[in-house]
Amino acid sequence: MKAFKKLVILALLSASLLGQWVMAKEIRIGLAVDQLFESRVAENNAIKAAAKKRGFQIIEVVADGDAQTQNAQIQSLISQRVDAILVCAVDQNTINGALMRAQRARIPVIAYDRKLPNERVYQAYVGPDSVQDGFLAGQHMVKQLKDHSGEILVLELLGALNDQNGIDRSKGFQQALQALPNAKIISVPTDWDSAKALAATQNAFQANPSIKAVFAATDTQIPSIETVLIGLGKAHPVGHPKHIVVTGVNGSNDGYQATKKGFADGIVVMNLDQIGEKSIALAEKLIKKQKVEKNHVVAGYFYHSGNIVKNKDKIWGAGQ
Amino acid sequence: MSFKLLFKQKWLPIAVAALLMSIFLSFVSPAFLTLTNFESVLVQASVTAIMAVGMTFIIILAGIDISVGAILFFVSSLFAQTLNTTGSVALAFSAAVISGCLLGTVNGLLIVRFKVTPLITTLATYTIYRGMALHLTSAQNIPVPREIGWMGNGSFLSIPVPVWWMLVFTVIGIYLLSQTRFGIYCKAIGCSAQSAKESALPINRVNILAYAIGGLCAAVAALILIARVGGLQSGIGIGLEFTVIAAVILGGTKLSGGSGSVAGSVIGAIFLVLIDNGLNLFNASPYIYDIVRGFVLIVAVLVDRVSVIKNQPNALKFKTSSEGN
Repeated sequence: MKAFKKLVILALLSASLLGQWVMAKEIRIGLAVDQLFESRVAENNAIKAAAKKRGFQIIEVVADGDAQTQNAQIQSLISQRVDAILVCAVDQNTINGALMRAQRARIPVIAYDRKLPNERVYQAYVGPDSVQDGFLAGQHMVKQLKDHSGEILVLELLGALNDQNGIDRSKGFQQALQALPNAKIISVPTDWDSAKALAATQNAFQANPSIKAVFAATDTQIPSIETVLIGLGKAHPVGHPKHIVVTGVNGSNDGYQATKKGFADGIVVMNLDQIGEKSIALAEKLIKKQKVEKNHVVAGYFYHSGNIVKNKDKIWGAGQ
Repeated sequence: MSFKLLFKQKWLPIAVAALLMSIFLSFVSPAFLTLTNFESVLVQASVTAIMAVGMTFIIILAGIDISVGAILFFVSSLFAQTLNTTGSVALAFSAAVISGCLLGTVNGLLIVRFKVTPLITTLATYTIYRGMALHLTSAQNIPVPREIGWMGNGSFLSIPVPVWWMLVFTVIGIYLLSQTRFGIYCKAIGCSAQSAKESALPINRVNILAYAIGGLCAAVAALILIARVGGLQSGIGIGLEFTVIAAVILGGTKLSGGSGSVAGSVIGAIFLVLIDNGLNLFNASPYIYDIVRGFVLIVAVLVDRVSVIKNQPNALKFKTSSEGN
């Protein structure tokens, strides 16, 4: 009887310890990153800060732009039995197989910043509202140009033509420009590359010297625009009658500095903190088997040369 | 130069292609045939052209360097970081140029010491150099003061500084390839490494020097690019190696080595810029850029093949011995 009692006590003690171990088991989230550049680093930092707040561990892997590497990295995260995977895809089709494997292993997947075409391989998406971001930048440009008569030539520096955020920014920007019926948009691809943006801007101004405004799909290309306009003697500050309107999307230090000195008119800043917070909040809910909505887009906010000081804290690239 | 000699030049087909394209563009866009546009084309081509000069020696040696874009990124990062930390322009310039040469030399050393194919070696160093640059900058953009932008935006005797650099590198490259022992050795080794070995040519030294020159060219190109773009960005140089290799091949340098032309590579770089310049001047739809680029490149390669067949009627037949040049 005594032996039986001892056995029961031992079993209860073991169960209690096991329960405590399970409760204390750290939640580990795999973060599969496409590649590192300024805004992605800021976005990842926001995700890490949100995870730290909840005591979650982040296992970060960076594919450096290689879809096959990312595929292997996601498989490695599955083998490590992470509790959830946050992925920003290099190429959505290449990683499809790995994400299917994650589904079979019952690991929830949250796509961030770049949406995936196959809705069966992820539980939720969080990213910028790129259509709205492009629209806000276009809206400000329309305000600046509305009093011009005759044809208004506008140069649009596109991102990459295979990148949904770039496509959506362009879509939003062009929607806003519809309010200016006399505007003619000249769109040139840049593949997010500042050197290409510089050449494209230079060529566009050669062919169309009367361009009145430039929209950059990413504000990191604004220094390239500045180089060209300085060379052409057209870099007049905001307020000058010959000023060329410059707007963009992103929120980097390049855009901040250009707006601060009056070269650029205004920039739409992606709300990276909220994207980071939402990504982790969704991961937490999914780990707890709670139901979540599929799509979550976060609109950016616009700042211009008039309110830049007030908004400095909201600009993720300011003062870097 | 006699006409007979002119028709034997390897750069002639690409020069003809560039000329034909210029004539076409001047008819369809009034903005094309202006001095400022001509200047823009040369400035835009300068970065690729300078890197193509270095790559010409490497490809003539039957090698390849796909790490040049990563070298450009690392050098830009080091320059921006040194300038921001120390404020010394001279130190930043020196660090950039020396590091470019060193990274090129490392490529050469790895290739000759470990006998690993240049493609695999430079693919590995591409990753390492990019990783080093990302580590150095934490993937942040670093602005550089506009005042030091003379390297990319200044002019001397009314000619833009990048064009001067391109001219200097082209002249030195032509001289090195045609008038020095180094150039002759490059061709000989590229033609047949075995024969070169049997002739006791300094194969290792020539290889290391060629890769070091490639690194130096990438470093100078980096300084021009960073000055023009106004700062360092982490995407800088990605894919540039393929543009550089395309310029060299278009310019008449054989990918199998043994023969090539520095002037051809520079004209190849200008030709590639002309394609985008023309598309921009047309206000062409952004969706047709890749189609036109591919189509024009095929035409340029066909022009090259036609000239090869004309000069060597048996060029398309099965070759029993390696072609010397």
